[in-house]
Amino acid sequence: MNQPAISNPVYRWLDRRYSLGNLVEFLKHKEVPLGDHPMVWYYLGGTTLFFFLVQIATGLLLLLYYKPGEASSYESIRFITTKVPFGWLIRSVHCWSAHLMIVSLTVHMFSTMMLKAYRPPREITWITGFLLFAIGLGFGFSGYLLPWNELAYFATSVGTDSVKAVPGIGEWLLQVMRGGHDVSINTLYRFFALHVVALPLLIFALISIHLLLIQRQGMAPPLTHESKGPGMKFFPNFLLRDLLLWLLCLIGLMILAVMLPYGPGVPGVEWELGLKANPLQPAYPGIKPEWYFLWIYQLLKEFPPHLWVMEGPQAALLMVSVLMGSWALVPWLDRKARADKPSPGFSDYGVGAILFVVFLTLKAWDIGGHGHGAEVDVRAVARVCAWWTLGLAALITVFRFLVYRHRWFLFSGGIALHVALHGLLGMSYLRALVAAAVVVVIAWALTLVTGSSARTMRRVSQ
Amino acid sequence: MKSRITLSAGLCLLLLLLATAPVWNLIPPALAQDGDASEPVELSAQVREFFETNEEGKPVVPAELQEYYGQLPDHARKLFSKAVEAGLISSAAHARDLLSLKLSPDKMELVLKDNCILCHTDKDMQSEETLWHIRDDGSGSTTLILQNFLADVHFRQGLSCSGCHGGHPDQTEMSDDIYERWPDSERRKVDRTWIPQFCGRCHSDPAFMRGFNPSLPTDQLAKYRESKHGQLLLGKGDSKAAQCVSCHGVHGIQGSDSRRSTTFKSNIPATCGKCHADAKYMAGYKTEDGSPLPTTQLKQYRKSVHGQALLVDGDQGAPACNDCHGNHAAMPPQISSVSEVCRTCHSGNGKLFDGSKHKQVFSTHGWPECAKCHGTHDISKPSDTMLITEPGHLCFDCHTRYAKDNPICNATAAHFHERITTMEAAQANFEQMTHTLAAKGLDVDALAASLSELNDALRQSRSAVHAFDRSDFDEVADAGLKAIETGDAGITKSEKEYRFRRKGLLFSIAVMVFLALMLYLKIRQVEAHQKSS
Repeated sequence: MNQPAISNPVYRWLDRRYSLGNLVEFLKHKEVPLGDHPMVWYYLGGTTLFFFLVQIATGLLLLLYYKPGEASSYESIRFITTKVPFGWLIRSVHCWSAHLMIVSLTVHMFSTMMLKAYRPPREITWITGFLLFAIGLGFGFSGYLLPWNELAYFATSVGTDSVKAVPGIGEWLLQVMRGGHDVSINTLYRFFALHVVALPLLIFALISIHLLLIQRQGMAPPLTHESKGPGMKFFPNFLLRDLLLWLLCLIGLMILAVMLPYGPGVPGVEWELGLKANPLQPAYPGIKPEWYFLWIYQLLKEFPPHLWVMEGPQAALLMVSVLMGSWALVPWLDRKARADKPSPGFSDYGVGAILFVVFLTLKAWDIGGHGHGAEVDVRAVARVCAWWTLGLAALITVFRFLVYRHRWFLFSGGIALHVALHGLLGMSYLRALVAAAVVVVIAWALTLVTGSSARTMRRVSQ
Repeated sequence: MKSRITLSAGLCLLLLLLATAPVWNLIPPALAQDGDASEPVELSAQVREFFETNEEGKPVVPAELQEYYGQLPDHARKLFSKAVEAGLISSAAHARDLLSLKLSPDKMELVLKDNCILCHTDKDMQSEETLWHIRDDGSGSTTLILQNFLADVHFRQGLSCSGCHGGHPDQTEMSDDIYERWPDSERRKVDRTWIPQFCGRCHSDPAFMRGFNPSLPTDQLAKYRESKHGQLLLGKGDSKAAQCVSCHGVHGIQGSDSRRSTTFKSNIPATCGKCHADAKYMAGYKTEDGSPLPTTQLKQYRKSVHGQALLVDGDQGAPACNDCHGNHAAMPPQISSVSEVCRTCHSGNGKLFDGSKHKQVFSTHGWPECAKCHGTHDISKPSDTMLITEPGHLCFDCHTRYAKDNPICNATAAHFHERITTMEAAQANFEQMTHTLAAKGLDVDALAASLSELNDALRQSRSAVHAFDRSDFDEVADAGLKAIETGDAGITKSEKEYRFRRKGLLFSIAVMVFLALMLYLKIRQVEAHQKSS
């Protein structure tokens, strides 16, 4: 084996003990696939990691002054933001970075989905990524309560309340989460332990596996990738580019944290401390969870109180579970991609998921409702949100049609139909969803029949 | 061995416990209650006949009311059947009307035991003059409404028709003693002088009233005799003057703590205004100086700061008519007492006025202290412009007329005005800045504290004006000026901090952009080196 020509005495000291030669050799030959595809998607995992590292650093600094407790949580956060030098900046960066991490994580996940990077042998990488996404959301949910202010208190009450719908163990689970019947300081203790101990341990383990697998297997080339010579060297070329992007992310993060210290002021993306939580006060109208939970919150609202043999929320949670489950199992469900063949159906499934979530999120924001709480004109909201979603759907479809030459639009078309039926024709959300699903199934069956008959014809003519 | 036995016993117990598991979720059946709806109800023949009576193809007593009847306890149903048999409930329509109130069982029993109510609600037996309507549907009398009577405070204490009218509610024939307590019906309509005495029979008897409401005063009649209303009614025999029924109503009297009561705080202006805002009704009445008694008070009061607070904002602490004029001893406050009336709430301002130079001057002129500047029924929120030393403003105009040779007065008023407007402007600025700076993420605790101090000082300064003394005023106003100084310093500090943050951001961006540039050049260099090699 060729010994690397590194003369650094520290390296030599380490090499003598741990035989670093193999590792250095591996890194020297590690490459990122180059081709016609855009490189940008390869950087999103890195930016997510960057925001996560910022979270660790700022979280540690916040922990120096944060004191969990009924009489100290809110007060200590106030102290941090008003008295501790640069405390306001640290909290602002922590909050902004949390949201940007979820944004980066979501875009990373969708890009992986679209590029079919989950196909063998990278199924475990996908699964660990999916779990990291879930833990990321868990971080957001548990961290939201820690300032113990009004907004956090009521949003957590609403958020935890939805677990009641879990069949059989709902009530038990609710009490486990809350540490009692209602959200109380016991809930905060639990969420604090989760936020600073349990979830970090879990996420470190999963990130390690995720990164190890990526380093071991390399980055996935796209399906249509045709190797045009050697790829980009991971070290130092890609790593330096990664660092450059991290630096640009840091600049953006600092600008946002200083200029908008309490967030952009959109419901679900704001963290002004406001008043201290008062469990005896009634919840004020218009309480909304954080933006990444809005689609589930809206879906729960769209379901009637009872649906056949189930309670409405139970049915909604079942639907969310089925969707998330199918998302996690995509590497096994997408048989074509497993055989390294194009699988337009799953690309379209990804686009459909985006449209589905976007429509619900826009609705949860009451866009076009001209009011708050009970004053909101629900029909107007559905109409305006439908137009926005359909506009987005048209844009994506045209882009896919012209640029990627996609011809498979069954799922995204189904969601667009559902949005139009509900938003523009005034059909109820669920009826529109069922009607669109029926149309999709019939269209799919027709595709399969005509496809198989065409294949038979071809075989016969051969 | 011992542990094995314990283990076996424990396992057996566990198994036994598990074996009973299927019954854990069973809820014990509720004990059968009197008049359980699930049991079929035995109807007497006549009640059944009423229930089966149809009109235009539909039952006169709808199924919903028959169901309600079925849910009444046995005793109530028996009373109902008895009343039907006795002809006191004489028709299906009469039965329907009574059941339609859907009274609670205990209240229904009270009604069914009271023959006065049963007879007087029967349309077939009563003339329009004596018929009690079930509810107020606007078709007849406004006083003979059973629904209102059942909510009457007297009825709820067990006092029904016979309590005032006499007679025996358990008999089917009207006895002769009815009306013996009162003048005959013709005289009764024009002569109201007997009413206070009649109500006073109970309400002036502390021993009797103690059994019902020990906290209720029993001096109403004594007070009433001394009131203007009492003097007119009892002294001059003027039956147009208000007596008990005029304000409290009849057959539907509610305690003054009930929102439906005519004497509930926010209903009082309308109750008094029923007569006092009616120019036709009040025609002929005069004030002490002989001028006609005005009828614009209610209109003025509604627009006043007190009226707005009580009637619009629902502030039950704001004064209604009776808070200044009294209740049963209602009198127009005299010049000497009007300021005392104001002092019951505005005692601080009253004390300041008492120690001022104005006190003696007002007394010399015979002016009603507070009312002279603020008005009476039309009191509006005092404005700081009253202090402006220009024609058209209160202080200036009054002093020009009565004290134009005093050079200090205008200077004092100008001083008050200048200080107050300074504080007011600072208050508006602080409020806005608190919001703006907080939105920028800056610490506004100190500014909020200054604002709170300023608010206090401004409030006290406006009050201190009533001392009409510069040094007394400055004592509280100086605290406001100090708060302005502290607040302004806080704003300057916060703005400085904000500038520092922006500069810091710019500097760090510059450093990071420089680093990014270096990194970019490094990448170029590395790649150029790789290409060449």
